[in-house]
Amino acid sequence: MNPVVVVLIYSTMTALATGLGALPFLFVNTMSTRAVSYANALAAGLMMGASFGLVAEGTGYGASQTVAGGVLGVLFILATQRWLGNHEVEFGGLRGAGARQMALMIVVMTVHSFSEGVAVGVSFGGGTALAAVITIAIAVHNIPEGLAISAVMRPRGQSVLKCAGWSIFSSLPQPLMAVPAFLLVETVRPVLPYGLGFAAGAMVFMVLVELLPEAYDQGPRPVVGALASGSIIGMVLFQHYL
Amino acid sequence: MDATLTVVLYSSLAAATAALGVLPLKSGRKPPLRMIGWANALASGLMMGVAYALISSGLDSGAPAAGVGAVLGIGFVYLTHRATGTLELELNRLDDPRPEYGYQVILLNALHAAHEGIAIGVAMSMSLSFGILMALALAIHNIPEATILGAVVMNRGLRLRNAALLAVAANVNQILLAVVTFALVSAAPSLLPWALGFAVGALLYLVLVELLPESYREAGHTSIALVTVVAMGMVVLLRDRAG
Repeated sequence: MNPVVVVLIYSTMTALATGLGALPFLFVNTMSTRAVSYANALAAGLMMGASFGLVAEGTGYGASQTVAGGVLGVLFILATQRWLGNHEVEFGGLRGAGARQMALMIVVMTVHSFSEGVAVGVSFGGGTALAAVITIAIAVHNIPEGLAISAVMRPRGQSVLKCAGWSIFSSLPQPLMAVPAFLLVETVRPVLPYGLGFAAGAMVFMVLVELLPEAYDQGPRPVVGALASGSIIGMVLFQHYL
Repeated sequence: MDATLTVVLYSSLAAATAALGVLPLKSGRKPPLRMIGWANALASGLMMGVAYALISSGLDSGAPAAGVGAVLGIGFVYLTHRATGTLELELNRLDDPRPEYGYQVILLNALHAAHEGIAIGVAMSMSLSFGILMALALAIHNIPEATILGAVVMNRGLRLRNAALLAVAANVNQILLAVVTFALVSAAPSLLPWALGFAVGALLYLVLVELLPESYREAGHTSIALVTVVAMGMVVLLRDRAG
């Protein structure tokens, strides 16, 4: 099969996985903040472990290039955050404070997905074994993201279907970005360590600036930390055996 | 230089830097919490980076053992904190008036130092340059830790010089455990993946349960995340240079 099609299918699957995050709300109307916190911690660990793999792969091509790419990844997340802070976020058809919170949530999550899409596309350029790991990591990471979006939307009277729909929407940049990122890596081989570093830098920074602080805010520190540590180890071992 | 002597020297250096931590408290000043947060973030990034370096170059020595060792490391640190009632101890409640809080903070520092000693010993047995990097990261971590310790015990009437001595004393077991771990792994190399996994698990737990959550409370999320990620990048570069 055409590798571009493979990348498109894999990254569409990670986007669809986000919709799974809405499913628990079929059974409960509200969700404990603790459970959301643990989901964040798990996602943080898996992404950190995945980044370890990306950096190990990237340094094989060149450590300085990987770190330079990492700097770009961090700057990308910073710039996106700043842009969001400087612009009035509006969300069609919704009014009031609750609507603004929902809109902000969706915008933040959607913007995250651009770097995730780059990560997926780049990881396919770095070898298929790693790509499968990254795809699983991001798919699993997407579920609590969808969970987080739904946890904001569902208590504000949105249907489960709507929660799932917006969750998937927030991840659509993944397939959109994955294909050009993949093509860039395939055609311009020397860019690969930069690309791997970019993905790792963006993922690590996202873990450090968004997921972990949120997880600590909403759950007991020892459980959050142990869960994140454990999932780093699990992810690294998973990559080792794959 | 003799390898064991190198271990003693660098782990002693890491323990001794704790004395520097009380210096900002001179003339009864309040500890600079934001600076402490950034210093902790720097240490977090270095420790996380070394954990990455250890696990990514050490898995070949025995992946299942390293994995089991890591889970044991996480579990062991968790249990030592639970058994001593320091599981959810907040390290920067400087105004806490309870007498036992002072002892708990000293105990926590001593526990950290023990786990850090194992990490130094393992890193040294991987390669001396790894070990020196590890000792450097922990020396940096010991400084803000000692600032907090100093503030807590000086609130309870201890003088600056004694606070500095206490801070170093709480870290002395680091030297002992570094040497013991190094000697054990050197004598029985088949222990390496186990010890390596254990050290990685303990390091991750210290960073993710103790250092980072505290740092986030002491300074803004973005600045903490930036300092941490830059420190991790530094380790990736240094590791490449060290070969």
